[in-house]
Amino acid sequence: MLNDYLSAQKSLFTDHTELRAQVNTNKRVVLLAGNMVGNTQTEKSGISARVYRGGVYGFSSGAEYTPDSVKIVLKAATENARFMDENIKKGEPPLPKIENATGKVGLKKPIFDDIPQSVLINYAKNLDALIAKKYKNLSSRTVVADALYMEKLLAVGDGADSHSFQPRAMVYAWLTAETSDGVPVELFKGFSHVGRFDEFFHDSGLAAMESELDKLYEELMGKRDGVYADAGLKKCVLHPDLAGMLSHEAVGHTVEADLVLGGSVAAHSLGKQVASEKISMTDFAHTAFGKPCPLPIYVDDEGTPAEDAVLIEDGVLRGFMHSRETARHFGVKPRGNARAFEFSDEPLIRMRNTVIHPGTDKFDDLIASVDDGYFLVKTGNGQADSTGEFMFSVDLGYEIKNGKIGRAIRETTISGVAFEMLKTVDMVSDDLAWEISGFCGKKQAMTTSMGGPALRCEMNIGGR
Amino acid sequence: MKTNQANDRNDRNIREIALYATEQLKKSGADKSSCIAKKMRRDEFNIEANKFTLMRTTFDDSLVLTAIVGGRRGVSVINKHDRASIDAAATDCIALAKSGEPDDAFDIAEFVENKDFIKPEITNDRDGLFARSREYIEQVRDEFPKIIVEGFSATLTAAEEAYVNSNGVTFGSQYDAYNFHSMFVAKDGEKGTSFNYDGATFTKPNTAFLDAGMHRTLLEEAVKSLDTRMVEEKFTGKIIVTPACTDMLWGTITDNFLADRALIEGTSRWKDALGTQVADKKLTFRAAPLAEPHIITGPRWTSDGYITRDVDFISGGVLKSFALGLYGARKTGKPRADTSTYHVEVMPGDVALADIIKSTPRGILLNRFSGGSPGASGDISGVAKNSFLIENGAITDALQETMISFNILDALKNIAAISRERVTNGTTHLPWVCLDGITVSGK
Repeated sequence: MLNDYLSAQKSLFTDHTELRAQVNTNKRVVLLAGNMVGNTQTEKSGISARVYRGGVYGFSSGAEYTPDSVKIVLKAATENARFMDENIKKGEPPLPKIENATGKVGLKKPIFDDIPQSVLINYAKNLDALIAKKYKNLSSRTVVADALYMEKLLAVGDGADSHSFQPRAMVYAWLTAETSDGVPVELFKGFSHVGRFDEFFHDSGLAAMESELDKLYEELMGKRDGVYADAGLKKCVLHPDLAGMLSHEAVGHTVEADLVLGGSVAAHSLGKQVASEKISMTDFAHTAFGKPCPLPIYVDDEGTPAEDAVLIEDGVLRGFMHSRETARHFGVKPRGNARAFEFSDEPLIRMRNTVIHPGTDKFDDLIASVDDGYFLVKTGNGQADSTGEFMFSVDLGYEIKNGKIGRAIRETTISGVAFEMLKTVDMVSDDLAWEISGFCGKKQAMTTSMGGPALRCEMNIGGR
Repeated sequence: MKTNQANDRNDRNIREIALYATEQLKKSGADKSSCIAKKMRRDEFNIEANKFTLMRTTFDDSLVLTAIVGGRRGVSVINKHDRASIDAAATDCIALAKSGEPDDAFDIAEFVENKDFIKPEITNDRDGLFARSREYIEQVRDEFPKIIVEGFSATLTAAEEAYVNSNGVTFGSQYDAYNFHSMFVAKDGEKGTSFNYDGATFTKPNTAFLDAGMHRTLLEEAVKSLDTRMVEEKFTGKIIVTPACTDMLWGTITDNFLADRALIEGTSRWKDALGTQVADKKLTFRAAPLAEPHIITGPRWTSDGYITRDVDFISGGVLKSFALGLYGARKTGKPRADTSTYHVEVMPGDVALADIIKSTPRGILLNRFSGGSPGASGDISGVAKNSFLIENGAITDALQETMISFNILDALKNIAAISRERVTNGTTHLPWVCLDGITVSGK
């Protein structure tokens, strides 16, 4: 647990100031074809200060966390803010105060409850042994067990102080097989939970994992005989996992206010129809559809209490995600989107739990409605553009012929322009899948969650 | 977080810290051990939407401890250099190793020679970096009024590093480096372009950022991309991959076919191809961490504890070397590379870029590629970004929503030309490479 050496320094604040002490601990075990190539424990901890003066920030950080080191870092950040203010002369006024945010938002479970590395090692070994024993047609396999812990202590000039602790546990499995002519094909699945590793990954849970891996293996065997997709604009059904990536990459990034100011296409679309009326999308803070979000955020790293940010409502673009500074620029209330990954990072506008809302259609009806198209299931990565143009890799997909799922396709890529593609959505399933196993990479890494239902739409697909 | 640090970090130099940590590992029970210690100060200026937003000063320490106990390996990483933290990390590292799996391939570098690598002139010129940053944004505003610099950072890094292992290997280095990275779009009313990005590293802040590598060209091309054209059909043609589009070819080749994972798993399709023709004879592709003055950021030793060297991966189209580290080499029985796969060069061809364009009846000048991570098969597909159509031997229009698909192994055998011009950004030194037989599809 972090001791509070921050609050006592508030008397030294001369301008709007954020002090943050943070520790990130990561345990990671990697088994590559049965070889334990990774057995690593990493701890990064320290203190940072950010000071706002005249429209510019000064920032500083250091690895030591003592009452004296807090003063040193605070002084360095204040000097940097003064240097920039004197040289740049923006002349901006102080940031508006955060209303009704005083006191400290505490931990739900204020315990840093560490686990030994052997827990991850044993789990990874058992899972690897299961894969090696059960799935005979593999040419290789990789298993990764990973536990990330983040504890943050925040003291701000105004807004909410906070003390938060967020553990995330992840297991990844890659299966590799070869086609009849010796070409390797791979499939990957990530399993992730917010909580301590052994709460979710233990031997008694291996049976449930086994059924997921059975499915992955079966999909891989189908992919071995996959065909190239026919390149061009096609009618597609997106699996909920892919819709989550769509919500994050294709739409989410274009409505982050820093990217809006940097030239995003969304700058001119506020209040306009940007999607089919069947599409609503929200970046939830901590509770969605009456349940806790996978990655609950209560206060961001600027001291802003977290609230939901409504992005698209019935197809109309309603808002952007903000820091305190961009919220002032646009004349709106900040809702707690400014987060930093490590102690030495400054808060940036980041998504939290970004999701396209479920609709009313049945998934089977989406498939049955397509005469000639593709069912796109798994994605490995994606990238958005300031124009709204996006790209996702498709690691697993199938042809749809006459309303039925057909042959698997080989790895490909789909693309489109978000606000055009979303207008082609004409069916939205009534289910919802969350995904929290990845990291968003906007300057810094960041834990985010995303989700959505299955969608029927038109997509540009790569192939031969 | 440890809060009981002794104030001893400034009393010892970085080599003493690494020696102490290696000794602690030995005392705690390591059969073999190594340590990489680093102390770094970074000063950074940030610009967003054409305006300065932040100045940063960070003090970063890091310590990577590796222990081998009974053939088992553990790695512990911390960002503290005080003795109490090192002692605790050494204990953790031994416990990690003991809980691991034995593997004969785990090892550390044998002693050959000890060496220090000190940059001849360390300038630490923060004011110079600020002046270059201010000059950059003023030049962009004046010369490219339609460009919005979405995100820019200029960084001065001053670092001391040491590598020590229990076989007696000791390396030290001290350097400073100046770097900028800029992400930008062009904007004209409601019309906007795809973002693009570029950057470079320098030994001194004596070059205007706008004059680095392809930067000015990329900004000019961004402005030209405000009006785009869509390819309305599918065709097979050529792509000219510019030096700005580094990762699609060279990163994929090293990751998927040359590096540890692909060869240990056996998924590399070149696993048995050493000494054979894997690419057109025009291609020589090499790791070149020592190729000054074009490549200035190359490390002088590997994380395994060997002095780095320049290595030909492919020479005249023939596969000459893999990019294996110590573990991968021992695991596969193939030779170590002792190099850096991030610092690469492709040797120039004998054709001018203008002539390559003239000889292209239909194709794409590819500045950026947004695609999925290619699998072991080498199949690649994705969107051509910040790119231009070539028709009848001339660059015509900027492209919109255009996808390209190909297999990288096939494409390497189908290199139509390599330019005689090359561009460096301090980390890579690359020509324009023209690949034939690429599937291009529009909407």
